Amino acid sequence: MEEKPFKALAKSSGHRGSGKSSPHDTRNLWTTATQSQPKLNVPLPTVREDSELEGSSVGGKTRWSYNQGRESDDGEDKDSFKPEELDEHALMELEMRRGSSLGGPLEEDDSKTDDEKSSSVSSLNISKHTPHRAYWVEQQSRLPLPLTELMENEALEILTKALRSYRSEIGRDHFLTKQLQRYIEGLKRRRNKRLQVMVI
Amino acid sequence: MKLKQGSFLWYLYLDKLYCLLSVRNVKALVEYFHLLDVHRKKTLNDVLFYHFLHHVTDLKRNQITIVFNMLDWNAVGEIGFDQFYMLVCILLAQENHLEEQFIFRHSRPVFELLDLDGELKIGPSNFHMYNFLFKIKKQQLRDLYHDFDITGDCRLNYKEFKLFTIFSMNKYQESQKAVKEEKAVPEKKCHKL
Repeated sequence: MEEKPFKALAKSSGHRGSGKSSPHDTRNLWTTATQSQPKLNVPLPTVREDSELEGSSVGGKTRWSYNQGRESDDGEDKDSFKPEELDEHALMELEMRRGSSLGGPLEEDDSKTDDEKSSSVSSLNISKHTPHRAYWVEQQSRLPLPLTELMENEALEILTKALRSYRSEIGRDHFLTKQLQRYIEGLKRRRNKRLQVMVI
Repeated sequence: MKLKQGSFLWYLYLDKLYCLLSVRNVKALVEYFHLLDVHRKKTLNDVLFYHFLHHVTDLKRNQITIVFNMLDWNAVGEIGFDQFYMLVCILLAQENHLEEQFIFRHSRPVFELLDLDGELKIGPSNFHMYNFLFKIKKQQLRDLYHDFDITGDCRLNYKEFKLFTIFSMNKYQESQKAVKEEKAVPEKKCHKL
């Protein structure tokens, strides 16, 4: 049931409703990164699932540390590179280019055989590629950040109004009211953490 | 009924053929429902449901209550994800002017929703009550009972209702075709010139 709608969705994704075409529509919130990911069969280092409160801060840290690592790489790509915008194919191309540029000093060493060179280059590629894969696997199971933010902000607004209703109808001391209050505070903390990470 | 522009639901979209959400949309909706599921019961109670619907649509309090009672088919006072998903599809169908297709594609669940008493028959009052959701016009209702009430009891069973959905769908497709042809005629004239 979901396969055909998915294909039909590709055709229908150009427009919503009768004659509506807004430039600020769904496509701006959905990144293309998670669409083009192929299945990865190679066993990977385990990626920790986020707990409720930690949530995106882990992803944020991952992205931050990933970007930090990228800064020491080829400067040409630094400005244009945004992990969530490149698909697998582009990443592979980058890796191949980096691999060939790294291969320069290795080729100068006459004592190394071709096999050793290719294995060292490929091991370098794998070691550079592994964090990419883990990052992409994590991204594949998560929603795009703009959408997550929108959802959380909206949920906060709805739940804040619900809290007022709880207080007026069942009182401030009711366990459901307290539970809702704690939940809202947890959501706010998570949102603030994410905002701090993004600012950095 | 209008969805609030810029709200999360406003960014979702139905597949036009099957009038269902894609897997990605459902995944996002699951996360959204999880955010609203404050008490970790995988349900929304009436207060949470009211504030959610009040926030994302322009429905009035009594309309929201009618929707809640319609979806709370087990009469437990809470809405689970299945009912939530159904509601979102109905809202999106209306927002994107896909009511006829939606009712045609999902005639059985729609019939069961309209059949509030569980009598396996729906009368004009059922349609009137949910008119703000399914947008079946008065003239359509009159035609409906005139043409499809085969048993003559002024109520429709499921088969009669299904016939009605097929008929409405055909009529809708013909009107869409006529509109396209009307648009194509001035273009042809321009080409000739």
